[in-house]
Amino acid sequence: MLNRIQNVLEAAQKVIKSASSQKHLEKIYIDFFGKKGKFTELSKSISKIPKRQKADFGKSLNQAKEQILASFEKQKKQITSGDEKQTIDITTPGKKTEIGHIHLVSQAIDEIVDIFKRIGFSLQSYPEVDWDWYAFESLNMPKNHPARDEWETFFVKSKPNATLGNQVLTPHTSNGQVREMRRVKNPPVRMLNISRCYRRQVDVSHTPMFHQFEGMLIEKNVAISNLKGTLDYFTQKFFGKERKSRLRPHHFRFTEPSFEVDVTCGVCLGRGCKFCKSGWVELGGAGMIHPNVIKAGKLDPKKYTGFAFGWGIERTIAMRTEIGDIRLLFQNDIRFLEQF
Amino acid sequence: MNIKIPVSWIRDYLKTDVAAKTLANVLSASGPSIEKIEKVKEDYVFDVEVTSNRTDSASVFGLAREANAILSNLGEKSHLVNPKGIDVVLEPDTSNILSLDVVIKDINLCPRFTAIIIDNVKIKPSPAVIQNRLMLSGIRPINNIVDITNYIMLEMGQPMHAFDYDRIRGAKMVLRESIEGEKIVTLDKTTRKLPKGSIVIEDSERLIDLCGIMGGANSQISKRTKKAVLFVQAYDPKTIKKTTQNLSFRTEAAARFEKGVDLETIPNALSRAVYLAKTNAGAKIASELIDIYKNKPKTPAITLNIRKLNNYLGEEIHPNLAIKILSLLGFEAKLQEKSIIAKPPSWRLDDVDDDVDLIEEIARIYGYQNLKSEIPKGEIPISPKNVTEEIIELKRALKFLGLTEIISYSIISKKMLGLAQPKKEEIVELQNPLTENWQYMRPSILISLTEVIGQNRYIQQDLKIFEIAKTYIAQGDDLPKQDLQLAIAVFPGDFFEVKGYLENIAKIIGREIQLKPIAKKHPLFRQNQSAGVFSGKEQVGEVGILDSKTTNYFDIKNAVCALEINLSTLYGLPAVTKTYKSIPKYPSVIEDISAIFTSKTALDEIIQAARKAGLPLVTNVEVIDVFQDEKLGIDKKSVTLRLTYQKSDATPAQEEVTEARNKISSVLEKSLLARIRKK
Repeated sequence: MLNRIQNVLEAAQKVIKSASSQKHLEKIYIDFFGKKGKFTELSKSISKIPKRQKADFGKSLNQAKEQILASFEKQKKQITSGDEKQTIDITTPGKKTEIGHIHLVSQAIDEIVDIFKRIGFSLQSYPEVDWDWYAFESLNMPKNHPARDEWETFFVKSKPNATLGNQVLTPHTSNGQVREMRRVKNPPVRMLNISRCYRRQVDVSHTPMFHQFEGMLIEKNVAISNLKGTLDYFTQKFFGKERKSRLRPHHFRFTEPSFEVDVTCGVCLGRGCKFCKSGWVELGGAGMIHPNVIKAGKLDPKKYTGFAFGWGIERTIAMRTEIGDIRLLFQNDIRFLEQF
Repeated sequence: MNIKIPVSWIRDYLKTDVAAKTLANVLSASGPSIEKIEKVKEDYVFDVEVTSNRTDSASVFGLAREANAILSNLGEKSHLVNPKGIDVVLEPDTSNILSLDVVIKDINLCPRFTAIIIDNVKIKPSPAVIQNRLMLSGIRPINNIVDITNYIMLEMGQPMHAFDYDRIRGAKMVLRESIEGEKIVTLDKTTRKLPKGSIVIEDSERLIDLCGIMGGANSQISKRTKKAVLFVQAYDPKTIKKTTQNLSFRTEAAARFEKGVDLETIPNALSRAVYLAKTNAGAKIASELIDIYKNKPKTPAITLNIRKLNNYLGEEIHPNLAIKILSLLGFEAKLQEKSIIAKPPSWRLDDVDDDVDLIEEIARIYGYQNLKSEIPKGEIPISPKNVTEEIIELKRALKFLGLTEIISYSIISKKMLGLAQPKKEEIVELQNPLTENWQYMRPSILISLTEVIGQNRYIQQDLKIFEIAKTYIAQGDDLPKQDLQLAIAVFPGDFFEVKGYLENIAKIIGREIQLKPIAKKHPLFRQNQSAGVFSGKEQVGEVGILDSKTTNYFDIKNAVCALEINLSTLYGLPAVTKTYKSIPKYPSVIEDISAIFTSKTALDEIIQAARKAGLPLVTNVEVIDVFQDEKLGIDKKSVTLRLTYQKSDATPAQEEVTEARNKISSVLEKSLLARIRKK
């Protein structure tokens, strides 16, 4: 029996010595002296001890308790005041709070918003289920216009509105353009709109839902050179100082002139390599807002001009990481999400 | 649309010394994009992306024309040469004139119709150069006459067709709209049942052409063909588009007709085709030229203010340079006072109609790379902070609380929707879903979050995930309500862990949040292990353990604890304002009090009772321990409260503390039937 007391005593002293925090020490205390603690259990066993050994057992028990409590005190002092001579094993893992992860898409959004905030753009939000009028017609795309074919649009089962048309899942963030103009009423306008967008297509580089990002600026006398300046600023902040952007002619109904925006390839920096072929990789679209769109926003196109630009968030992620198949982004495998 | 064009073919008409690669670069910078250059033997093949407004450059000659303008402006030596035969006036070569009776029922369907009959045709393979070029462009050579039609389409951008003259019954063509259900077997041997309103040609007995899309098999060129009708038209773009959509059948010809072709050069394309037929098939012209062209489109004169041009460019450009650029592109342009007046060439009529269109033409040829790059210097607007911006910060905070963000599709299946048991009138359903899995806009994020837990359940770790997204509730004929919601799910689940997140979130976003029991079971949660989340009187969400119907659906065996709250509502409520309270000058007295209660007594009830009874001396009451044990009795629990006694002008005296404690004890004993254990 006395052996058992000795064992518990030794075990207690050993763990107490290893305790590295007040909390840890408290836990050890409960382990021994709590309701089901090792020492408590030992004390309870006194009832099973033959009568004449009871006194001895009780005495040993008390001695052991005192010794353990003394160890507690000693270790407590150690912990709170620290032993100057003791060497800390700095390779022992630190005590950490578990930290989670933000999705790659949100990380990119966060970064983009931060970059444009510095030059006065503010983030706004517009409906994802919107009227045809905002998604197409107000953007200089009348009903049945062939340009609409470029968007594989989802329609919502609902009664069409007499003036605004059908309800659609917005296939791009540009549905926010006219809404923002009407919200602001008096330019200047510097808007960012980041939203889920939807198109009826799935393959390695398309998911039916994706995120688009759009910037719009309207004031007096906005020039193409201002758009170039804004895109160069973004490119250098987001992709790196050595990267450049360029505009190439393109066609969108809601901008005139319209551009495709390229960024110098991150591998060869524009010299041309086997990844990019030409030295440039495509980033997105841009243009000077078409006067008809400004008119739809109830602003005077003779007084105000502006530019807009936008691209898929997933695309920028694919450009910076080595994710070939963007469907991975929405499969939500926790082992994937925790890599970022 | 993308087209493939061998560079050697372009060089037939574009006379310049610049290398293929340079040519590609200047075209990409100022005109259509050359997306790829492929080297094939001694030649290069361009893969050209042509935007929908620029079908005029979707051809060998169109591209040469565009390149010539760009190169000339750059000061490179370059000039254009016309394809052989395009200017030849078509007159019969024989005295044996054949006839073709053409009737166009509606001139709007066919703005220009040209045709000519050739005789003495010897069908054989095309010369090697034509076969090679077609193959490099992705078209299979067939015979010398059929190849000419494809060759002309690629070279001039003008689709055309050839009929076997002897197979057109009655030497008659009636161009009209189709009647619903009419049938034609097209060249690809497919029987096509036509909708009403397609453009077709009928001879004296049957349909022989599905115009603008594909010819009929019954009148096609064969090895035995001796006489052919060469046939070049333009069709109403909208009608062609409607037909291709109805039939889900689009050819390269249709893709061009849908966007419109250059009406002026239609006879040139026919002349060129005749030239090639004479050269490659020994053909002789056996009819007069048929050319039906009633409504010649007007060419608009567009005025561009020079100041506006300069404003757009961000710099001043000499008006003469702007005029030179427009002229290089085929515009008739002149300076008139402070404006440029320009008339677009026939091949740009559909595309150019505004002053901003002229600005684009001038700017791109001038070179976007030559314009300055300047950050806008205008006034910075003051905008209200949008919830989406707040959410960026919230996501960051949730990450540091140990949660991992997921992003799942907002479109869900009928079965997943069913779990949330939405009201019928609140469902947002897609009219044209891609698959059954993506059919409804979700009213709740939690269902998707549970699915993600189901997908990851075999990974040996705890899952703590969240998502912030819009949800969709139909509102009659209006747009659906689209509020931003936050959902959190923890697996294996612990109610108080998730409640803890909720309390943290309340602090982070500075809004008050309380839990209240909900009378009616929520479709996703267990009845007695869930609560409504309230801010003031407004319910903003739910928290609790998911019921087994929900978890079983995703094959999850352990409990999942979750919450979903409406952030749009929550952020819309006023934030908790923080006011200064003086820091106590005197120390407080802290003591614990333990008592046994019935299990049903809510902790909050105990705290409130103690707090009220202890006023004003007791400034804080906290629960520090709760346990249940048989020894306490059935349905009993022991609760330890930690009381803080505090005064602003002195340390509380022992007597004051005792008095307050006794008062609390007696209140707990009387109103909550507690038994005080130790003091």
